[in-house]
Amino acid sequence: MAKVTLIEAITMALAHEMTRDDSVIVLGEDVGVNGGVFRATAGLQERFGPDRVMDTPLAESMIAGLSVGMAAQGMRPIAEIQFMGFIYPTIDQMINHAGRLRHRTRGRLSCPMVLRAPFGGGIHAPEHHSESTEALFAHMPGVRVVIPSSPARAYGLLLAAIRDPDPVVFLEPKRIYRLQKQEIQDDGKALPLDVCYTLREGEDVTLVTWGAMTFETLKAADQLAKDNISCEVIDVATVSPIDMETILESVEKTGRLVIVHEAARSCGIGAEIAAVVAEKGIYDLEAPIQRVTGYDTVMPLFRMEYQYLPSVRRIVDAARRTLED
Amino acid sequence: MKTFNLPDLGEGLQEAEIVTWHVAEGDDIRTDQLMLSVETAKAVVEVPSPYSGRVARLHAAEGDLVEVGKPLIDIDTGEGTAAAGRATEPAAESGKAADSGTVVGSMPVSDDELVETAVAGSRRRRGAGKVKAPPAVRALARKLGVDIGRISGTGKGGRVTADDVRHATATAAAAPAAAQAKLPPGTPERLRGPRRAMAQSMTLSRSEVCPCTIFDDADINKWAPGEDITSRLLRAIVAGCRAEPALNGFYDSASMSRQLEGRVDVAIAVDTPDGLIVPVVRGVERKSAEALRVDLDGLKERTRNRTVAPEEMKDFTFTLSNFGMMAGRYATPVVVPPTIAILGSGGVRQDLVPVLGGIETHPRIPLSLTFDHRCVTGGEACRFLAAAIADLERPK
Repeated sequence: MAKVTLIEAITMALAHEMTRDDSVIVLGEDVGVNGGVFRATAGLQERFGPDRVMDTPLAESMIAGLSVGMAAQGMRPIAEIQFMGFIYPTIDQMINHAGRLRHRTRGRLSCPMVLRAPFGGGIHAPEHHSESTEALFAHMPGVRVVIPSSPARAYGLLLAAIRDPDPVVFLEPKRIYRLQKQEIQDDGKALPLDVCYTLREGEDVTLVTWGAMTFETLKAADQLAKDNISCEVIDVATVSPIDMETILESVEKTGRLVIVHEAARSCGIGAEIAAVVAEKGIYDLEAPIQRVTGYDTVMPLFRMEYQYLPSVRRIVDAARRTLED
Repeated sequence: MKTFNLPDLGEGLQEAEIVTWHVAEGDDIRTDQLMLSVETAKAVVEVPSPYSGRVARLHAAEGDLVEVGKPLIDIDTGEGTAAAGRATEPAAESGKAADSGTVVGSMPVSDDELVETAVAGSRRRRGAGKVKAPPAVRALARKLGVDIGRISGTGKGGRVTADDVRHATATAAAAPAAAQAKLPPGTPERLRGPRRAMAQSMTLSRSEVCPCTIFDDADINKWAPGEDITSRLLRAIVAGCRAEPALNGFYDSASMSRQLEGRVDVAIAVDTPDGLIVPVVRGVERKSAEALRVDLDGLKERTRNRTVAPEEMKDFTFTLSNFGMMAGRYATPVVVPPTIAILGSGGVRQDLVPVLGGIETHPRIPLSLTFDHRCVTGGEACRFLAAAIADLERPK
């Protein structure tokens, strides 16, 4: 077993699946010779050749369209978009074609493609490289949105995404690409999609989050534990469709819910979770639901980015608010 | 000493022009402090310092074109390594830029190991939660100062309704008012020990049990002289329990369940100067009169000198109050929850008894049986008492 970072786990999963399945193709800008802007595809072109690891022109709509076409004809393309800031030209392809191909052809064709992109702030990148706009894709019917928060889940969920017969937008929290290492066995075992992962069990407050924010949320849970406040920490992992059963079950136990996400607050996935808990779990709530999120503004330039990103302090304060009478 | 090379500032540009140095040689510099501005083909980019330390050398002047990967600045950090979790350290000494893992910004890096347990999905165990109540009802309970956790809901799915909260408030308001009987001026003595225990168990009985008492007498005219009254009373209780087991055991009002016992362990109320002490005679149903007498004498002795162990006073299934040695004929003995019944026996008297063809004088024991009518019927109690009397009336 090797200790690997999240980005190394991505590379491991890509290599594993390309070895196992000839129909798996990697394409994107600089994924071949260069190995990708974050090194996700490092060494893959040398191993699998330029026909399976393809450098493309700088045309994201084309990258997505090419992937839809290949997927419709039985290949399993994995497209890389360099930054979430460059992903928006793919939206037409994803909403009009990828997400509805199965429906449009009455089940004759499906679209087993993966659209990978790093997202989120915290690496002092230039303007428009740091947003978290996962909610745009979560709103698209027929498109699954998956976000890993640890090397083990990056490996297992990416394998599941590649093997899934329908399109998956796989968003990688780049701030934690190299922040921690975890022991992973390269055994090709996928993890289940469409379920939450409970990272810590607790009795008093449920903290729900995903992506890089699991790092701050777990730290907040540690701090609260020192004051005998026991937090349940849930990584949503698949943010569309959301496994609400796990969240409702936890809220039934704790009666208190704090949702943490890096994305702007309005119309974020936190709003959806809060709405479903209000619909189906309101009789269990002992305090108003709290959201700790980014702000409804353009993500600031990098010297201010940690003012924007939810901090451990903000999460702790929100959890305490749910315990006030 | 750390050397910082010009990083790839994005989009694969090979060189950049130094616009402004914001630090000079000899300056102290902190991590993330603005260090210089460089102009690429696209924009002026501001580069922060990856290290804290003192600027040892600037490798290029303002206006110079610097190739990506070439040294820009030497910073004396005073120690060998950069702060953990910060920007990666370019391998300047080797003359070649290390892979920083990104083309823009700085990637936080550490060797910290993540150890976690991640449980996938739910356990499908909904329904075992705490109180179910709409937020408005919770708010109402808070406003009225009622603990909603103590209210059993009458709404759909056991939900607590606003009426439940109001009802609980009314009940709570009525109870303390009744209990507030103030003492006149004086020096009250706090109850201690057995007297305090008596106060607690009697209060519990008062608030829980629905008592009903039956009175009758046992004619012991046929007894041989010197018969042991207390052990005969214990034997009579066993006879009653055999005839009607419903009086021997426990009742729990919260779960509305009764637990009837096969064993007959009888608590015997003993009056002492410190208060009522109630030691237990165990296994009455399988002991001879002689064995019972030995037990009774031992208990009496230990009770008088206060050496009865706490475990000798708990877990009894029935109670006997043999009060009549002093005075009193009948009484309304008080059931001690969670037990179900108590038998009181008054003093033996010579009564005029009508017999066939005349009147005789017979010794009789007056009996008072109190039972908890929540879980025992009147019929059961009467059959118990009848069996106990029949046993007492036997010659031996």
